[in-house]
Amino acid sequence: MFRSRRKFLFESCGGLSGLGLACLLDQDGLLKAEGVETNPNAAKKPHFPARAKSVISLFMSGGVSHMDTFDPKPALAKYAGQPLTGKGEIVVRQGNPGPLMPSPFTFRKYGQSGIDVSEIFPQVAKHVDELAVMRSVMGMSNDHVQGHYALATGMIRMGFPSVGSWVNYGLGSENQNLPGFVVIYDAHGGPFGGPANWSAGFMPAAYQGTVFRPSGTPIVDLTPPADIAPEQQRARLDLLMKLNEMDAAKYPGNTDLAARIESYELAYRMQSTAPEAVNVESEPEATRKLYGLDDPVTAPFARQCLMARRLVERGVRFVQLYHGGLGVQNVDTWDAHENVQDNHSRHAAEVDKPIAALLTDLRATGLLDSTLVIWQGEFGRMPISQRGVGRDHNPGAMSIWMAGAKIRGGQIIGSSDEFGYKAEEQPISVHDLHASILHLLGMDHKRLTYRFNGRDIRLTDVYGELIPQVCGDKAA
Amino acid sequence: MNGADRKISFSDDVRPIFQSSCWKCHGSGTQLGKLDLSSRDSALRVITPGDPEKSRLYRLVAGLEKPAMPMGSTLTPQQLETIRLWINQGAVWDSTGKYWAFEKPVSARGKSIDDLVKRALDERGLTPAPEADRRTLLRRAYLDLIGLPPTPTETDEFLNDRKPGAWERLIDKLLASPHYGERWGRHWLDVARYADSNGFEHDFDRPNAWRYRDYVIRAFNADKPYDAFLREQIAGDELPNVTQDSLIATGFLRNYAKVGFREKDNPENRFDYLDDMLGTIGRGVLGLTVQCARCHDHKFDPISQRDYYRMQASLFGYVEVDHPLTSRETAAAYEKKKAEIDARVNAVRQNLRELERPYRDQLLPAKYKRFPQNVQDAIATPEDKRTPGQVLLASQVIRTVSVSPAEIDRIMNPQDLAQKQTLNEEIARIEKERPEPIPVAMGITDGDYRFTPDGPGDEPAPGKGVKQAAIEGSFLHRGPGRYQTPPSYLLVRGDPNSKGPEMQPGFLSAITYGNPPTELPPASGNTAGRRRALAEWLVSPENPLTARVIVNRIWHHHFGHGIVPTLDNFGKMGEMPSNPELLDWLAVEFVNRGWSIKQMHRLIMTSDAYKRASKFDDAADLAKDPQNRYLWRYPMQRLDAEIIRDSILAVSGGLNPEMFGKPVFPKLQADVLKSMNYGIWKQSEDGPMVWRRSVYVYRKRGLPYPLLDIFDLPNQNISCGARNVSTVPTQALTLLNDEFVLRQAQLLSNRLQETEPTDPAKQIELAYRLALGRGPEDSELRVNLEFLKTRKLVDFAHVLLNLNEFLYLR
Repeated sequence: MFRSRRKFLFESCGGLSGLGLACLLDQDGLLKAEGVETNPNAAKKPHFPARAKSVISLFMSGGVSHMDTFDPKPALAKYAGQPLTGKGEIVVRQGNPGPLMPSPFTFRKYGQSGIDVSEIFPQVAKHVDELAVMRSVMGMSNDHVQGHYALATGMIRMGFPSVGSWVNYGLGSENQNLPGFVVIYDAHGGPFGGPANWSAGFMPAAYQGTVFRPSGTPIVDLTPPADIAPEQQRARLDLLMKLNEMDAAKYPGNTDLAARIESYELAYRMQSTAPEAVNVESEPEATRKLYGLDDPVTAPFARQCLMARRLVERGVRFVQLYHGGLGVQNVDTWDAHENVQDNHSRHAAEVDKPIAALLTDLRATGLLDSTLVIWQGEFGRMPISQRGVGRDHNPGAMSIWMAGAKIRGGQIIGSSDEFGYKAEEQPISVHDLHASILHLLGMDHKRLTYRFNGRDIRLTDVYGELIPQVCGDKAA
Repeated sequence: MNGADRKISFSDDVRPIFQSSCWKCHGSGTQLGKLDLSSRDSALRVITPGDPEKSRLYRLVAGLEKPAMPMGSTLTPQQLETIRLWINQGAVWDSTGKYWAFEKPVSARGKSIDDLVKRALDERGLTPAPEADRRTLLRRAYLDLIGLPPTPTETDEFLNDRKPGAWERLIDKLLASPHYGERWGRHWLDVARYADSNGFEHDFDRPNAWRYRDYVIRAFNADKPYDAFLREQIAGDELPNVTQDSLIATGFLRNYAKVGFREKDNPENRFDYLDDMLGTIGRGVLGLTVQCARCHDHKFDPISQRDYYRMQASLFGYVEVDHPLTSRETAAAYEKKKAEIDARVNAVRQNLRELERPYRDQLLPAKYKRFPQNVQDAIATPEDKRTPGQVLLASQVIRTVSVSPAEIDRIMNPQDLAQKQTLNEEIARIEKERPEPIPVAMGITDGDYRFTPDGPGDEPAPGKGVKQAAIEGSFLHRGPGRYQTPPSYLLVRGDPNSKGPEMQPGFLSAITYGNPPTELPPASGNTAGRRRALAEWLVSPENPLTARVIVNRIWHHHFGHGIVPTLDNFGKMGEMPSNPELLDWLAVEFVNRGWSIKQMHRLIMTSDAYKRASKFDDAADLAKDPQNRYLWRYPMQRLDAEIIRDSILAVSGGLNPEMFGKPVFPKLQADVLKSMNYGIWKQSEDGPMVWRRSVYVYRKRGLPYPLLDIFDLPNQNISCGARNVSTVPTQALTLLNDEFVLRQAQLLSNRLQETEPTDPAKQIELAYRLALGRGPEDSELRVNLEFLKTRKLVDFAHVLLNLNEFLYLR
């Protein structure tokens, strides 16, 4: 089989012109003519029965402080103002290390599980019995961009396929009229590292994330500019189809041409399916209120969360949301160098209600069991202060939680040391996280490989252990 | 064969035994008893080739000598026998005798491409397609060689040339076109992972990277022999005849994505850059995944970790430099003048600082007020009274607070203010004498990386980035005596902190014949000549891969797939050649014809295989060779991203054919621009300034130009031979709705209107000739005429730019 110059068709057996032919050929085993692979986004069987069908990833860009959100550290109050010692050289991102700093926030126990959650997440806290809170996840870099790439692709360098690409490569999409991997970033701008976060790396473009905009037409170039009327565009398309069909008739065995004809029909259908899929205005008022669309503070992320639910409902496999975008780095992201209290209370207020609503809504619509929700950032923050009230980057420990996918909620997994400086009990690597995500979707991370340049490459490279509390039999 | 005469292969038979039973303790990572069995050189300590009984290795594993090996287990009788036979047969280390790609290509004498392709077809009972018609061939040649469709005039010219040799003349004409380099140079730029920005977080601009891109275009246009081309790119600074071009060429090794921030705090980055260079030379030139041997011996190919670090040692002296592209005298004069101006300016600045000092000291305490109380308290506490925590807090703040000149001005007394004014004017006066920067090329040379001057963002954090005090040296060697490469080591598991033995330069042992030099120092003595030696080894007639790999690339770009489909991997995990004799024949011809790439185009394009029709549906052929690996017809191919955009521009008449120079920035939609965080994109208006060929579009690692990216632009961070080809609806959306495409459709429509103001049939005729190189068929004319009865010309023009026939090479 040809592997170097791969050709991919994006088509379904939906019975449109070129399609019938492609399907016939497929049955005859002839679709692979001239190195053509079958529809890259056709739904594929997982390796074993999956716990979840789709993923909503909530990425808090800039680095959320764990000891101010989901990992309380009383020791910080006890030793406040003293240097952090006995941990070897303290590596900070900016300047010199400062002294230990207690959280400016108070914690309280919630739910039956009694898990501690910071006062800045009062709404999410009410769902704590549905969350598996991992307190011992380690980032791979104290650099924002490399930290983002690590979580997105398992590598700190750019150029590798992101988790969403791997998932679509492994499972395909359940809705052929929408992209299988959708990215919605913050209204302030893209996250650190930009589009490489959702790139398909060396895989074909079919697997790369498609950016949906939170307002206006969701996809760049989805619709023609205003001076071209819809019927005018349809007329162009009709002529194009007619001429292309006449041409394709001269090459009866050519699936490339059939696929491209079909891609135009799909593109045309997307012009209506994509806006409909993310039309949050069509939701009942109660739902919109639930997410906080009526409040300017919560509205932007509420919109992203509600779009995510609607996309997952329509079979989109992987939805990546970013909160925190590069307008002004220390202000518009979770990068709390200057003042963790100001920064985190502001951003938590923006996302708390929408995230809680997403969990409520997914539960109510029966989607939560088949959807993995993961809340994460690129690293945690330092237990020591930066100029008195800020916190620097800390890849040594961070808190990430998962919900849905029939994961047992109300559990704490792993722990960081008494100050939250390093992961201590059951350290969880990014690769472990990725292996577990694939597992929940029914895929063995050691078997999901992509042949690139003579090597079978994995999302988890040569690493990755399943997180038993999430993936094990008892987890469900 | 199971008897005593069974030929033992190291890779297939011995290697697995070593891997499972020996290398854990006696490999490249660990060498218990100082015994290293990872290479033949080091293993000879315990092996006497030809005499197992005298070989300590055999005696130990056979239990003839103590301690019996392997520790804690024993080899099976079969394994023991394998080792015995292997030593008996001379303990040959690699599989060069067996693996096709490691043997030198041997040409089938007196044959031609046609003979060899035909033989492959005949053997499989495949019927070749007839020759394509001349219009198809013409368009094929244009798009293939120069990446632009033929104009109506060019079409007529060729069709009217009925004399013998018209096809050959056409090929020569296209090879002489300056657009040829823009098309074929681009293929090499993919291999060279060329980009105009650093990548990573800051994605800094590389203001001089384009000179390398231009060098590649010029080299292809000049048909620079491939061996010379490689020599310049790997060792252009250490050749006997260093030229501006050869210095620019060293940008090849510097094209790696680079963090470009706090490099000195992260010295391990350099090993990633070296790895990237090795990967690019490995995949790009040798078609081998050398990088796999960074942490352990290659799992499939005979590339040991030692080989990797030998090659790394060949590159280890490299440092980044901007080579001045002027005469040495001009460059020296510039540097001297610049230093003089810097010194004069600094002297005045010092006076300025002295003048401002009292005011600064006066303003500073108020500055601390914006910090929280605990910080203010720490600063207010006398240094010797501070608690350990306060010491930390104070140190975080004190050096980071500054007072702006404007703030000082506000409180300065008039006398001092006047004095400050005078000093600033003096600075401005001196600055006027500052010479224009001289042009420089972004390249490399040898030096000592430990003394690299600070780059952007390189100021070391306090307490870090300290130079190793024990080492005396300077960044670039300028005599006296010879330059010495800093020592490099085998890194255990690839970890820069786990140094193994010091390494000497060298090559891949499995494909090194004889004893080629590993250093060829230039007369100046300023570089080690290790890269020069590496380049000579690559282009040596003894090297079995270099020629094969490049002719296979050329073949791939002509036919859409290579004879070896995995262009960058000729190793065991790559795919076998579909026609090994043909590959070897081409490789030998290539070298015999002076490494001339243009000669290869002539050879290939005049072959029957190239001229076959793609419109040929032979059911029997399709059943026997559905992938068309044996080329019974010409494979239809979607145009590359750049060629789609360039063709649109050419057909609309909007193309600005200006060559070379700084990259252009096509207009980006505001939303897309927003996803970019760092680096530059000089947003410009859509217009002729940016309607240059796509090879001149700014290659930003953090934000590939979306119009090209959607059509499978390769990942710009790693060397890439074969691009992906995908068909996705977002491509259709781009061609249907993108502002750029619509604007070009309007231009095409205007062009048709101006040339043929009234007659729709003539407009259609012209449009077809422009876009497709042919007139419309009757049925097409009818359909389009019908369409134009109710629709505008621009609607029709836009459709043409979306036609499959427009987007596919046939």
